[in-house]
Amino acid sequence: MDDGVAASEQDAATPAPGVVTRVVRIVGWTAIVSGLLILGFVAQQLFVTTWFAEQHQDALSEEAEEHFATTEVSEVEYTPPVTQDTIEDGAAVVPPESDGPEDDGTPDRSGPRTLLVETAPALGDAFAVVRIPSIERLQDGWTVVEGVRVRDLKNGAGHMPTTPLPGLPGNSVISGHRTTYGAPFHEVDTLEVGDIIEVDTAIGTHIYEVRELQIVRPTDVWVTDPREGSWLTLTTCHPKFSSRRRLVVFAELVDGPNYEAIYA
Amino acid sequence: MKQWFIDLPGPMVVKVILAVVVALVALVALFFFYDWIGNTLLDTGGTVG
Repeated sequence: MDDGVAASEQDAATPAPGVVTRVVRIVGWTAIVSGLLILGFVAQQLFVTTWFAEQHQDALSEEAEEHFATTEVSEVEYTPPVTQDTIEDGAAVVPPESDGPEDDGTPDRSGPRTLLVETAPALGDAFAVVRIPSIERLQDGWTVVEGVRVRDLKNGAGHMPTTPLPGLPGNSVISGHRTTYGAPFHEVDTLEVGDIIEVDTAIGTHIYEVRELQIVRPTDVWVTDPREGSWLTLTTCHPKFSSRRRLVVFAELVDGPNYEAIYA
Repeated sequence: MKQWFIDLPGPMVVKVILAVVVALVALVALFFFYDWIGNTLLDTGGTVG
């Protein structure tokens, strides 16, 4: 008799089993679906996008080879800008009638030189290959396309069209993904000052040496500003798996078909 | 889910085809949504400006 009373009291205190089961089922399914959606997102971002980028890279690599073989390379006269540095070391005040270097041993840095230039590639076209021997992923090179639109960067690294092409005077800017779409610039944070970056173009191979790494805001457009000499600037997201900041690598030309013309 | 499949119009073959089409459309939509989220939050491609 006492047992019967206790059991009926317990039944009255606990909610109906149907409601509890329903709540547990809803919570359980919500957790499972959320987990699958998140897992799908991670798989899509890390593996699917990389698979697509690698397929594109195979095609772009052939396109770049064709570009190297068919692009017209011409010679243009180039006169380096006169800066305070060149005035201070006397190079810019060599009289026009002098014979230059033979006279006093000072190289003639004021006269026009011959610069090799290629015709500008169309947006989306593969036109260069960037290679970084100290980064395993980039030892064989990653094809660079013209443009930094979303669809350009899904295919390869992208060259900012408002900046000069690699190997020319100024500041050539190349952007690339850090964690998705093949993540060409995944390990650029491991670069050190003095490391070499090679860029193949229709003109030839341009060798750059890393001078500086900086972490900046995404709005810091000054990193694309023109620079004296010939520079290559690589930009990518920072930290990994976030687009909160940008990691920027500044590298200066140290060898290549146009080195003598720009720096002699 | 089972009820949703049963409620699809037509005979069994049509129900299966409709279910596959709806699943594919949902997957493609999900792919584009993932792509947009990834390009916005995870990795924009490193561009500045």
